[in-house]
Amino acid sequence: MILQTEGLPDQHSLKTYVEKVNGYTAARKVLGGMSREQVIEEVKQAGLRGRGGAGFLTGLKWSFVPKDITGPKYLICNNDESEPGTFKDRYLCITNPHQVIEGMIIAAYAIGANKGYIYTRWEYQEEIRYLENAIKEAYDAGLLGKNLFGSGFDFDLDHYTGAGAYICGEETGLISSLEGKKGQPKVKPPFPAVSGYLSRPTIVNNTETLANVPWIINNGAKAFRQFGTEKSPGTKLFSISGALNKPGVYEVPLGYPFASLLNIEAGGMQPGRTLKALIPGGASAPVLTPAECEGLTMDFEAMAQRNTMLGSGAVMVIDDRQSMAELLKVTIEFFAHESCGQCTPCREGTGWLNNIMDGIMDRSAKPDNIARLGSVARNMGGKTICALSDACAMPVMSYVQKFSGELQAYLAAGSGGHSK
Amino acid sequence: MSTETVTFNLNDRDITVPKGTTVMEAAHKHNVYIPHFCWHPGLSIAGVCRFCLVKVDNRPKLEIACNLQATPGMKVSTLLPEVKEAHKWALEFHLVNHPLDCPICDQAGECKLQDFYMEVGKYKSEMDRPKVLKPKALDVGSELVLDTERCILCDRCVRFEQEVTKTGALGIFNRGDRAVVGTYPDKKIEHNYQDNLVDICPVGAFTSRDFRFKQRVWFLKDQPAVCPGCSTGCHVKVYGKPQVRTYFRVKPQESEVNGHWMCDVGRKTYKHLNQDQRLRFAVAADGKGGRQRVSVAEAIASLALQLQGVAASDIALLVSPQYTCEEYDALFAFFVKKLGVSKVFQWREPTENLDAFDGLLYRGDHNPNTFGLSEALAKAGLPKDVKNGFEDLARSGAKVVVALAPEIEFQFPSLAGQLQKLSELAFVSVWTTSGSAYNVKGLRHLVPLKGFAEKKGTFRNFQGKVGELAKPFPAAVDEAKDVVEVVTALAEVWAHA
Ligand SMILES: Cc1cc2nc3c(=O)[nH]c(=O)nc-3n(C[C@H](O)[C@H](O)[C@H](O)COP(=O)(O)O)c2cc1C
Ligand code: SF4
Ligand code: SF4
Ligand code: SF4
Ligand code: FES
Repeated sequence: MILQTEGLPDQHSLKTYVEKVNGYTAARKVLGGMSREQVIEEVKQAGLRGRGGAGFLTGLKWSFVPKDITGPKYLICNNDESEPGTFKDRYLCITNPHQVIEGMIIAAYAIGANKGYIYTRWEYQEEIRYLENAIKEAYDAGLLGKNLFGSGFDFDLDHYTGAGAYICGEETGLISSLEGKKGQPKVKPPFPAVSGYLSRPTIVNNTETLANVPWIINNGAKAFRQFGTEKSPGTKLFSISGALNKPGVYEVPLGYPFASLLNIEAGGMQPGRTLKALIPGGASAPVLTPAECEGLTMDFEAMAQRNTMLGSGAVMVIDDRQSMAELLKVTIEFFAHESCGQCTPCREGTGWLNNIMDGIMDRSAKPDNIARLGSVARNMGGKTICALSDACAMPVMSYVQKFSGELQAYLAAGSGGHSK
Repeated sequence: MSTETVTFNLNDRDITVPKGTTVMEAAHKHNVYIPHFCWHPGLSIAGVCRFCLVKVDNRPKLEIACNLQATPGMKVSTLLPEVKEAHKWALEFHLVNHPLDCPICDQAGECKLQDFYMEVGKYKSEMDRPKVLKPKALDVGSELVLDTERCILCDRCVRFEQEVTKTGALGIFNRGDRAVVGTYPDKKIEHNYQDNLVDICPVGAFTSRDFRFKQRVWFLKDQPAVCPGCSTGCHVKVYGKPQVRTYFRVKPQESEVNGHWMCDVGRKTYKHLNQDQRLRFAVAADGKGGRQRVSVAEAIASLALQLQGVAASDIALLVSPQYTCEEYDALFAFFVKKLGVSKVFQWREPTENLDAFDGLLYRGDHNPNTFGLSEALAKAGLPKDVKNGFEDLARSGAKVVVALAPEIEFQFPSLAGQLQKLSELAFVSVWTTSGSAYNVKGLRHLVPLKGFAEKKGTFRNFQGKVGELAKPFPAAVDEAKDVVEVVTALAEVWAHA
């Protein structure tokens, strides 16, 4: 559905997209006679949930844009992809960039935006080249710009590169950055759908979310719901990494068994390696033990049942060689480094956790500091402007809950029996 | 503005507020205290300190009151244990990297962090790791010193610079716990409103150069007053220590006239009140060509004698627009109505631009009661718009001059020169707070006056709005009188002589 052109010759080109997978027919269909409400309704019916991390219903989000308001509105494709472990949007943009652009045309029409931006992390140079090339191809073919398909609808699309900060992936932080300011989230309300980029109604969607839209329009909500589960319809890109035989990006229906993803798609663990833990949805997702991976399926509900999340679909497989203490340290260090610093519990909490972890690493921490990791994290969660604070707190709580023995051992005996 | 209201429930009390009011504002108006650092009624909402958490019924997470609009039927609690626990932890986070230097911090005694800690703090801290150190004692503006280590990054100062003065010199740089407040490269805080940053900074990160290390605030007594620095007439509080006859600072008091702010010029209006700046006793001619220290009563008696020796047409008044309406009324009742004096001149700085205005508060008319003086003059049947009256006074040929000198000397750079010239006129009685008048040896008659913080009365600002001096400090100079007292005594002596 999403990686339709994967493996075809010139998979990323307009020619391939148009000729091999009927590219831009959905945009033509929408602009040729569907009303905005019809488009939103179709996406709602499909039950498409955002692929950026939170899994919010896409059609519902679009419907929050005020209808009776004049003046500019904006659509932003969140292609920042900063969640550690995630590389699926990158892969998507390199294989099939036109499907993202087509999705944007349709989404823009649905919300009444005549201007869109793709926001990509500056480091992803290869991806940026493919995207910019695709945008140029689309402009040259009259698929972007004025009066698309003779419908009278105009849509201009610009590409913007951010300087590379995790927080610029959070939608209001992204908007600040796009406005040329320091990338830091803003208090909500107002929500971007009402007051976003340049204080105008703005929808921010993940790249993969947008790439789903043309397929839904072409094949209908019902067809979309044939994949996935009741509450998690469709397919999902998973970027799976670790000591595997075939790490990479795979598109599978939501609800797909984790065991199959691991053993069939990713080719299983490397010889001699066993599964020690699983981070199912990026560094901010609570970690699972092998026991918790039993019977696990890859969908929003199954993850929620195990108090973790599907997140961005970054599946990180931790093998027996890894030290959980060291893993926790780099995780916390990342969030402490990336916290924008405006909310006190996040700014001080991530720093404090990092400070405690330093103590565990150099064994200067007191034994009760491991429990303190948990109490600090508990009080950071759910109390800040954006979810970065939670993104740090959630994994910490899960490590303390599930691997505190290993943390204690590390603190007491150096490497705790693991590589240093 | 809409007159629609909403009723919601706060701590089991129904409260009705205008639609659009936040829970924080509503609580504030109804005396429910919600702890906060970043919220300030004069600034936009930042929502960053995360201290003002409250519980809303049927909502899963605690919410910040500063950005929460009251909606009909909403039930909000600030008292539930989970809310109190959240407040404790909010403080704990604020203190993680805050230095515990209260004993040497200027803000001690009026530090919100300290206050809240005493109220809701976690007395057993969980923090046992080294703190992050940040730059101290930065020179960021002519009136200011910044200690970034004490900063809790509430963003108030940044918003003040962006929204109020629109000078934008400040920013918060870097991220995470390395975030620091500071000025942009090659920028300094350069405006007449710098000390407001000291006021709004909830901790001691911004301190005032003028006040730093001079006093512990809990030793100070404060009284409301009206700033005498210009015709805006900001409502202020004057802080002094009467036991040592010293004033230490002036701070704004919220009002319709000045909102939350005041200017730095106004802040300096306490200085001339201090004893070491003051005329401390009365002076009168000794009859041998010299002068001597006398009691105020004696000085008044000698003035009465002078007045009786000349015709009303030989008497002139020179009045500064810095006195209260009540003082003008008493003055004109005696001199104009009773004695029939008609030569009345205004004491004005020749260079002042009365119509200038900086767009925020400070006006080119550096007198608090131009409006009141005009009115008093009109009431007394005199022309009310006399300007720069000094030359006219000299030409008038008056034999006795009663001169009420400007109280705020630094607003009148030409004061010394004018006093010198006055001393060359016939008999001049100068009524003043200013000690420098004593140094003009030619002046043979001086009466010590009270300053604006030491008397009752009213000023009328440029719009005619009344500002009250209602709660005077005891004068820093024993002998000092206000004009009403001097005139009443003078009228008494005059009648009985
Ligand atoms: C700290 C933080 C980082 C985020 N980074 C990304 C990101 O890199 N890419 C992304 O699509 N969404 C990211 N999100 C989620 C976005 O805020 C937003 O929910 C998403 O782009 C919405 O798109 P969707 O509804 O299509 O999922 C991040 C959120 C947070 C709190
Ligand atoms: S939670 Fe952290 S990253 Fe998010 S806005 Fe607050 S300080 Fe910034
Ligand atoms: S210096 Fe003061 S006002 Fe400015 S951010 Fe820091 S604590 Fe807030
Ligand atoms: S604006 Fe005028 S009245 Fe207000 S503080 Fe400044 S000098 Fe005083
Ligand atoms: S006062 Fe509400 S978050 Fe700071």
